[in-house]
Amino acid sequence: MTGSQVDDAPASGAEGVAAHPVNRRAYRAAIVSFIVAPIGGVLAAVGYWSGSTESLLGIGLALCLGGIGFGLVSWAKFLDFDEDVVQQREPLRTTAAERDDFHDEVEMTKQTVGRRGLLVALFAGSLASLVVGFVGPIGSLGPKPRGERARTNWAVGRRLVTSDGQPLSASANGLDQIATVFPEGFVGVDDAQVIVLRVLPELLTARTAAGSVDGWVAYSKICTHAGCSVGLLGIDNRQPQVVRELVCPCHQSSFDPLDAAKPVAGPAPRSLPQLPLAVDDEGYLVAAAPFDRPVGPIAWDEA
Amino acid sequence: MTDPAATRPHRRGLVERYVDSITGRVGGQSWLTKNVRKVFPTHFSFLWGELALYSFIVLVVTGIYLTLFFHGAQDHIVYTGSYEPLRGVRVSAAYNSVMRISYDVKGGLLIRQTHHWAALIFVGAIALHMARIFFTGAFRRPRDINWVIGMILLVLALAAGFTGYSLPDDLLSGTGLRITDAIILALPFVGERLSYLIFGGEWPGTDIIARLYPVHILIIPGLIIALLSVHLALVWHQKHTQFAGPGRTEGNVVGERVWPAFAMKSIGLLFLTAAVITALGAIFDINAIWLYGPYDAAAATSYSQPDWYIGFLEGSLRLFPPWETRIGGYTINNIVYSGVVLPTLIFAPLFAVPWIDRFLTGDSSEHHLLDRPRDAANRTAIGVGSITAVTVLFLGGAQDVIANTLEMPVATVTRVLQVLFLIAPPIAFWLARRSCLALQRRPGPDHTEREGEIVRTADGGYHTIEETAGRDGPAGDHETVDA
Repeated sequence: MTGSQVDDAPASGAEGVAAHPVNRRAYRAAIVSFIVAPIGGVLAAVGYWSGSTESLLGIGLALCLGGIGFGLVSWAKFLDFDEDVVQQREPLRTTAAERDDFHDEVEMTKQTVGRRGLLVALFAGSLASLVVGFVGPIGSLGPKPRGERARTNWAVGRRLVTSDGQPLSASANGLDQIATVFPEGFVGVDDAQVIVLRVLPELLTARTAAGSVDGWVAYSKICTHAGCSVGLLGIDNRQPQVVRELVCPCHQSSFDPLDAAKPVAGPAPRSLPQLPLAVDDEGYLVAAAPFDRPVGPIAWDEA
Repeated sequence: MTDPAATRPHRRGLVERYVDSITGRVGGQSWLTKNVRKVFPTHFSFLWGELALYSFIVLVVTGIYLTLFFHGAQDHIVYTGSYEPLRGVRVSAAYNSVMRISYDVKGGLLIRQTHHWAALIFVGAIALHMARIFFTGAFRRPRDINWVIGMILLVLALAAGFTGYSLPDDLLSGTGLRITDAIILALPFVGERLSYLIFGGEWPGTDIIARLYPVHILIIPGLIIALLSVHLALVWHQKHTQFAGPGRTEGNVVGERVWPAFAMKSIGLLFLTAAVITALGAIFDINAIWLYGPYDAAAATSYSQPDWYIGFLEGSLRLFPPWETRIGGYTINNIVYSGVVLPTLIFAPLFAVPWIDRFLTGDSSEHHLLDRPRDAANRTAIGVGSITAVTVLFLGGAQDVIANTLEMPVATVTRVLQVLFLIAPPIAFWLARRSCLALQRRPGPDHTEREGEIVRTADGGYHTIEETAGRDGPAGDHETVDA
């Protein structure tokens, strides 16, 4: 039974097993496992057909698989191969003869295929043109950017509406509460999402107050870091002065809503663009102007 | 070569006749016999690679089932399935189909959860497998090629995980894609164009799920299967490494043969792996997309953590300071540093491990005997330091959870982790190096003086046999052959 690769018959085989005391425990474990396996299989079938519970199906399957697996391992343990078979490694390194042999082939190629430089160059050129020819279809995967990112649906006089289409009245009460709004007619449009909140007007800094109405301020809701929706208003009143922060839940950037939503903590490098507000004839909040810069994380040339 | 078995009269059973009927047409029966007798060294740490392979098999089997129901499209439809709270909500076709798998396909939830658990274990097993290869120096020549193939497999596994995670089009996965788009967008020169090409226009577009689907179920698994085949074929052809020990040399392999000792245990492991993953899928909820809801551009939730293996990237994004570089009207956003540069700085050296090791040790020769980690103190220390750095990033990915648990401000936790990222790796390096050197001085099992082995004879007596005879004969007999 000795093959060319196994240099010596192992001390196992029938003889080896006999030399060791029989592992009764492993034998019993294998028997129990191979009995548990079909029980698991039946359990899985019952779980499925009775439709009672999905977990029964899963646990049944797991028992069946586990029974087979544990049974095999126990069986191997019972057989107690305990082999220490020695096999020689074949050298992997290239020999000088092999190298010379291959060199002859390379030389032959140079003498034949490589002799006509013009053909080689033309062939390479054809392959390159084939690659170039495939660039076009790749371009169809997406349109060329045409400045869409610089524009949103916000325009002068456009109302702020909530996601169910309700306009916001400037007289609505609700200090220190936030709402997500969209331009009227464009509910759900990603880059137009805006977070609006109302604070006591005297808290706002001068540059922020310029775009506010009656304590209402609005900012783009898209975090300037990685584009998640800034969704939380953190109010920390443990300190003598109450601190308000707009927080992005993804990477914990926070912005100061009282001062142009400048970043105060976390990885966001830029403030959230402010949407200047006004009030229309019917007392609803409207945009006084569109955003003055792209919203969200910027591309490299949007500085 | 004469086969002694051919001259022995014997009855040929079914297996022999079937094998013969094939090898009689295509040849290679001696090759088959030789490979059945192939020797595998055994050590518990050699198991991780097998574990990765077997979880991949679970992934393929469960994944095929899921493709029969999944619908990779973003058309909006109204949900009418059996999950009450979402009825009447407008969801994408992709989300709807995953809800159908979870609630209306009998056994679907089990398969889906098993698939997700298998993915988590797959990447975990790859990480442990890599750690084993690294710390024992198994990546050295001639296995440096296979290290690189393994690294590509790791990257593919991460890509498979990320694309799969994105397919249900729920709130969490949509948030992940949004962040991905932000990173792509910020790339200098190509960012905006590339983002439009990938998403089919300005974010979010309507193409991305339909595009990720074939990537997830065809392109990535296809590449994994192809490279995995090469990976395993090389392991087989180059033969396994082994730890030093009696009778074990650079020129041989000592262990058990493929059949039956190794195969029985390994096939057993396949079933055990499948059993554990199935049990996880049956008992523990994972990625409960009905709780997150469909993707909504204007929503995001806190505690939004990705699957564990993306945690280091999430941490990089969270911990990196708000720095950006402006060069003449152009900006390099900090997300380029945290989302592209830092991950590259982690992965590029990993790919180059065999060559870095060669450069640092000046040793470029072939190795088939493994190092004990303590015996390569510098390598072990570098490994421990790097793992520490990645662990800090991983913790950074859950900094809000940590802050809440410890009742500390998020900013404080962030600052502590930023500092740790800089100082913990060198400390870990130093500690690991010291420990290795201390362990080297301590005699291990190999250094223990053994007088001999005491054996009990058949008649009940005891006597000592000299160790020079070697264990069980064969290993010792061959020491002289290879010397």
